[in-house]
Amino acid sequence: MIYVIDHKDSFTHNVIHQFSLFDKVECDDFSQINKSKLNKATTLVFSPGPGSPRDYPLSSKIYNQFKGKKRIIGICLGFQQILFNEGGKIIEQNKIYHGFQSQVFVNESSKLFSDGRKFKVGRYHSLKLDEPFNSKNFYITMRCDITNAAMSFENNVDKIYGFQFHPESFLTKNGNLLIKKILSA
Amino acid sequence: MIKVKSLDKINNSNQPFVIYKTKNGFDLYTDFSKKIILNNKNIYRFLNTEYRLKKKYKKTDLLIGFFGYEILNNLIGVKLPKQNNINFPKGIFYKPETIITLKEHLFYNSNNSHKVFKKFKININRNSYKKIFDNFKKKIRSGQTYQIKICTKYKNKSKIDPLDFFCKLTRSNLAPEAFMIKDKNFSIISCSPENLITKKNLSISTKPIAGTLRKTKNMNKKKALIFFRNNLKETKEHNMIVDMERNDLSRVCEPGTVKIKKEKSVEEYKDLYHYVSLIKGKLRKEVKNIDIIKAMMPGGSVIGCPKISTLNLLNHQEKENRNIYTGSFGFIKYNGDMRFNIIIRSLLNYKNFSEISVASGVVIDSNANQEFNENFIKAKALIDLFK
Repeated sequence: MIYVIDHKDSFTHNVIHQFSLFDKVECDDFSQINKSKLNKATTLVFSPGPGSPRDYPLSSKIYNQFKGKKRIIGICLGFQQILFNEGGKIIEQNKIYHGFQSQVFVNESSKLFSDGRKFKVGRYHSLKLDEPFNSKNFYITMRCDITNAAMSFENNVDKIYGFQFHPESFLTKNGNLLIKKILSA
Repeated sequence: MIKVKSLDKINNSNQPFVIYKTKNGFDLYTDFSKKIILNNKNIYRFLNTEYRLKKKYKKTDLLIGFFGYEILNNLIGVKLPKQNNINFPKGIFYKPETIITLKEHLFYNSNNSHKVFKKFKININRNSYKKIFDNFKKKIRSGQTYQIKICTKYKNKSKIDPLDFFCKLTRSNLAPEAFMIKDKNFSIISCSPENLITKKNLSISTKPIAGTLRKTKNMNKKKALIFFRNNLKETKEHNMIVDMERNDLSRVCEPGTVKIKKEKSVEEYKDLYHYVSLIKGKLRKEVKNIDIIKAMMPGGSVIGCPKISTLNLLNHQEKENRNIYTGSFGFIKYNGDMRFNIIIRSLLNYKNFSEISVASGVVIDSNANQEFNENFIKAKALIDLFK
């Protein structure tokens, strides 16, 4: 079972429907987490949402509790939430991407996707990862074709994955395939 | 069904009535046997009522009316701070016993024209608008909202003939979700273009609009589409609404059934072009109408995104209750089918005060002056009715 931790976003149910293609999905608000569902889940998903990782200490606690024990996936804010807990700095961008379709490319650090592949994705983020960023076993695997901003990471040792863009958006081509791959990795 | 050419008789009878746009004309609902004034307590009973009793339904087996903005917020757990309030009902529904089919061209001889006692005044001037705008832009930078709509309100003191105004409005702007309500102490007229919910059995659709272009001599549908496609700001705003409405439908639909049927197409109206998408889904069997209303309302395209945090930002900014504005008008049939719009481009006249609310969106690349002007353009069509 996949447990989606919702940060009161208006895209969370798109995420749920996308993950439902592959497994049973449960979802609760981040402030009303059900312990038994949390323990039962094989995969945890941190949803997109407003604000910054600092605003969600409860989600950070869950992340640190289950890191290495369950597969963990972060989308948009969830992506930032994970990196924030790995010592990353999350900062405001000069140019803001809301409802923006842009091209990303896969780099050589990716184990799941082929190096050099490019595709179109939907973005909804005010903030981004400040770089350089270093954390054990974490690799930035996709970047924005124009700004080079971090768009995806993989930690294949602890099975932790994240996307700064929205795989569930209608603006993302092959979003389902991305999710399928990280769920079977 | 009775067909009438003249509306004079119905209007002069002083009975409350409702008119709602249909595909080819209008339906007029009257002879109300029940009037339900909604509050935070009775709305649950109202929405949970199951009418699936009869085998055969009459056309009049429905409740028609509106949900105001505040009650829709409360329904999804968003509380409003203390605001200036004219104590207009939070929602009203009527049970009609008569429905009359009307042709598209409404004809009516008004004998009591409107009177204006005090001229229109706007509640936020350009300077304060700019301050609110700049504050919201900061919230976008910090990620608390991605898109937010600032509402401004024009008010005057006036006595109006609502049917006369509605007939005029349908002549200048025949909107697909137009409606009017005339009751004893209030009236509403609206040329809303936006359908929020069309539900028939298990199928449901929503048709968000984001992007409006005025018609000019050199403009046609093809050129309008090119304009929208090339306009990055309009495109981004529209994309956001499409993903948001997909999300809201996904709350109540079977996984895998929510599909974009029309993606970013142009619809042509008398005076303008709209940038429209159509999204459909198949409802999960256990879903009730109250779940659908809570998932879809208030309609995302007139609020901003993400809904909850944006509603909270808006509500703490606004000093006046929105009343009907960005609420929803429509009907719930006894067989469970529904049709609801989003109440925009509307005029509320209550106790001889008229108010027209309008809103336009703040995204990262919008311009305060431009948006302030756009608000005025949106209000103008309704203000002009008083000429």
